Amino acid sequence: MGFRSSTSIVKATALEILSEPLTLLVALAALALCVFAPTFHYHQFGEATRMARDAGLSAAFTGGLVLAVFGTIRAFRREMESGTLEMALSHPISRCEFFVAKTLGAFLSCLVFEAIVFGTTLVMVEGAAVGGSLAERTGDIARIWGPCVAAGVSVMLVPLMLGAFLNRFLRVRFVLSALATAAALACAAGAYAVTRDSATLVPYFPAILPTIAFMLLFVSASAAFAVRFSPNAAASCAGVLFAATLPFAGNYYLAESLSHGASVPPTTVLLSVAAALPAIAAFFILGVKWTTEKT
Amino acid sequence: MDDGENVIELVDVRKTFRDFWLRPTVNAVDGLTLSVSRGEVFGLLGPNGSGKSTTIKMILGLLSPSAGKVSLFGLPPRSIEARRKLGYLPELSYLHPFLTARETLTYYAGLCGLRRSVAKERAEELLEMVGLSDVASRTVGGFSKGMSRRVALAASLIGRPELLVMDEPTSGLDPISTKEVKTLIKALSAGGMTILMTSHLLADAEDVCDRVTILNHGKAVAGGRVSELGTSLEEFFLAKVGDPGDFKLAGFLARGDAR
Repeated sequence: MGFRSSTSIVKATALEILSEPLTLLVALAALALCVFAPTFHYHQFGEATRMARDAGLSAAFTGGLVLAVFGTIRAFRREMESGTLEMALSHPISRCEFFVAKTLGAFLSCLVFEAIVFGTTLVMVEGAAVGGSLAERTGDIARIWGPCVAAGVSVMLVPLMLGAFLNRFLRVRFVLSALATAAALACAAGAYAVTRDSATLVPYFPAILPTIAFMLLFVSASAAFAVRFSPNAAASCAGVLFAATLPFAGNYYLAESLSHGASVPPTTVLLSVAAALPAIAAFFILGVKWTTEKT
Repeated sequence: MDDGENVIELVDVRKTFRDFWLRPTVNAVDGLTLSVSRGEVFGLLGPNGSGKSTTIKMILGLLSPSAGKVSLFGLPPRSIEARRKLGYLPELSYLHPFLTARETLTYYAGLCGLRRSVAKERAEELLEMVGLSDVASRTVGGFSKGMSRRVALAASLIGRPELLVMDEPTSGLDPISTKEVKTLIKALSAGGMTILMTSHLLADAEDVCDRVTILNHGKAVAGGRVSELGTSLEEFFLAKVGDPGDFKLAGFLARGDAR
């Protein structure tokens, strides 16, 4: 497998997905869930930190899944329908290499999305730890949650403004520059939060891993479905797979125990692998084999 | 490989497309045998549906022949070694609309396995050659058809191929750009590049091709050196293929049915 050709495909695919308005919309929706869900509650029952974490992980999970399925399917179908696939395959690369590299590119764009949401989640958790319960006790919600929400809203608004500015004056792509800025801001803010309270926040990192693993599963399956079926049929297949795998994945329970420093039970790993088998089979049978043998 | 050795060789190649139940639907190519020598500009001509694009896709390794043998530089068309020496300009300019012209060329340079510095240098050189340096940072989705065609042409040349396959190279270009492309084909050929092209525009093919083969219903019905045809390529083509579509239209109009 040629490293340079694979890198080119990975980069172009990630650029493609991160340039799409759909990606920005999903990212903004996830950020809104992440920032506002833990803030505006009448009662928090002294669990503001947990609410902030759950809201963030839910946003990372649902938004990541939407992006993994629709971003990947759109990227593959456009490649096949526009004819760029033929153009690419006339170069010295194998079909299998092209398929795998494009799948990795789609996964990379999902990782950028996860970085944005997870970085913001860390900020919100830190904000909740500092002032959430205090806000509930004193009732001075605006003053205590205010800086936290302001930081979260900045992660949403600053990229949009900077993206618009760069697009207007330097012709840089709006969506791409907005998402790159959001990723940079979220990572910086998340890193700052971790330096302030590493004991609380470092155990949260393993909690995002099941979501990332689940996303890799759906990117691979969606790529395979998109190669073989129409976009609607591919999305339906991904939906069926989602319904079949969700009970086994146990994402929230796993995240809960992982964020408290527990290790993953072997039975959970085995069940997750069993649940992933249809996606793995689809990836190799529909995706790799099909692109290897037929156009 | 010595001069005169075949760069492309097709021996009794057939391609039958099948439906979901594997029943044959179309015999797109039927027993085609042809060869293209090194340094030659070879024209594959024929009416719509004659099998030109299918033949090109088999040469590029995008389709497998149902029977017969296709070889590229003596190797199977899907061999990575053979593809290193190949450039392809499709009929429609297939480009990623979200990439800029510069990124498009760098992307295809990456697919050719070129190092980043070489890729950038060659991309700039080709952008200059096709006259798109000023708009290199704009996404190609906003380009006109002619500009997209120029980008696609530059992309097909970025790996410095020994064989260039051009599907309707002058399609969608204005007369000045068409003339530029024909001049470029002649220059590339003079530099030793082998070129296989298809065209509906027989005058264009006549201007640049050394040798042609005319396809009809998937079969080679005639061919030879353009300089030895003894008549214009258009007359030769019509004598071999005819133009039934126009005759039917003429009859339809003569009956006064067109309203």
